[in-house]
Amino acid sequence: MANQIQTTYENQPMWAGGRSPFNVSYGKLMMWIFLLSDAFTFSSLLVQYGAQRFSNVQTAVTSQWPDPASIFNHFPMMHGLHLPLLFVSVMTFILILSSVTMVLAVEAGHRNSKKEVQRYMVYTILGGAAFLGCQAWEWYTFIHEGARLDGNTFGITKEGYTHLKSVGFGDHFEWEAGDRTNGPVPFAALFFIVTGFHGFHVFSGVVINVVVYIMTVRGVFERRGHYEMIEKAGLYWHFVDLVWVFVFTFFYLI
Amino acid sequence: MEFYTKPGDYDPINYVPHGESHGTKELWHTFWILLGITIFDFIIYFIMPASGYRNLIFIFFGIVKAYFIVGAFMHLKYEKINLALIILVPTVFIVGLIMGLLYEGSALSHIK
Repeated sequence: MANQIQTTYENQPMWAGGRSPFNVSYGKLMMWIFLLSDAFTFSSLLVQYGAQRFSNVQTAVTSQWPDPASIFNHFPMMHGLHLPLLFVSVMTFILILSSVTMVLAVEAGHRNSKKEVQRYMVYTILGGAAFLGCQAWEWYTFIHEGARLDGNTFGITKEGYTHLKSVGFGDHFEWEAGDRTNGPVPFAALFFIVTGFHGFHVFSGVVINVVVYIMTVRGVFERRGHYEMIEKAGLYWHFVDLVWVFVFTFFYLI
Repeated sequence: MEFYTKPGDYDPINYVPHGESHGTKELWHTFWILLGITIFDFIIYFIMPASGYRNLIFIFFGIVKAYFIVGAFMHLKYEKINLALIILVPTVFIVGLIMGLLYEGSALSHIK
C-alpha cells in the first residue's frame, strides 16, 4: 500500500505541488541551500582578500605584499629549511584523501553496509583531525615568526627579496636583519580570519562526523532503513574540501 | 490529492528517495585527477615565473578541481538539472564580483 502511494506521488506533475521538484529529501535540499549561503560567506572573505592584495601590488623596488609561499616555507621536523608550498600541499592531500574516504562511506551507505560505513567514517575523522593538527602547527609557526592580527612584520624589503630569491628549494634559510619591515596590515589578519574560518568549519565537520559515526555504531540508520544522514554530513565535508581548494589557490599559489 | 488523507503512508518532510550506488571506480578516478592537478599546481609554481598568466592557470585548475569535487563527490552530476542550476548559477556572479574588485584594487594601488 505504502509503495503504491509512493508511486502515485512520483507520477504527479513535477511542479503541481506536494512533492520536491528536485527529487531530493527535505534535509538534503536544506543542506545544499546552507552550503550555497556558506559559499557566499567564504566568497566575500576571498573577494576582500583579493581586493586588498591587488591594491598593495608588488613593485620592482619593494615587494609590498609578501609572496605567501616563501613565508609559509616550513615543514615539521625540517627546521630552518626553505620548503615553500610543500606543507600546504601535504595538507591539501590529507583533505582530498579524507574527502575520498567520506564519499566511500556514502557509497557503502547506499549498499546498507554498516561495517564499511563505520570503517570509512573512522578514516574520515582521522583525516580531519590530521588536517586540524597541521593547521595548528602552521599557525604556531606563523605567530612564532611575528605574525599578529593588528600588524604585519612581513613587508619584504629589496634586500629580503634578493635574499629569498637566492635560496633554492630545500636550502637552509633564516631571516636576516633588514630583510623585513612593516608591510600592509591586512596580510596576517586576513590569513588568520580566512584560514581560521575554514579551520572552524573543519572542526565542525569533524564534530558532525563523530556524531554521525556514533549514530551509525548504535544502529540508528540501520533501523531507519537508509544512510542518508551520511550523505548530508558528506556534502558538508566535501564543501569544506572545496573551500580549501580555493584558499590554497588564492592564499598560497597566487 | 487523495494520498494526503493518510499522513502515515506518505510524508513529504520525511520522504527520502532511494539512493543508488554508482560504484567506487569513478570516485578513485576523481581522486587521482585531483591529486594529479595538485601536483601539477606545485610544479607550475616552481617552473613558471610569477605572472598574470600563471595566476590564470591556477584559477583555471581551481575551477576544474571544484567541478570534480562538486560533480562526483557531492553527486551534483546525478541530481536533477533544476537543483544543479539553482546552486551553480548564483556562484557565477561571485566570479564577476572578484574580477571587478581585483580591477578596482589594482586601480587603488596606483593612487596609494
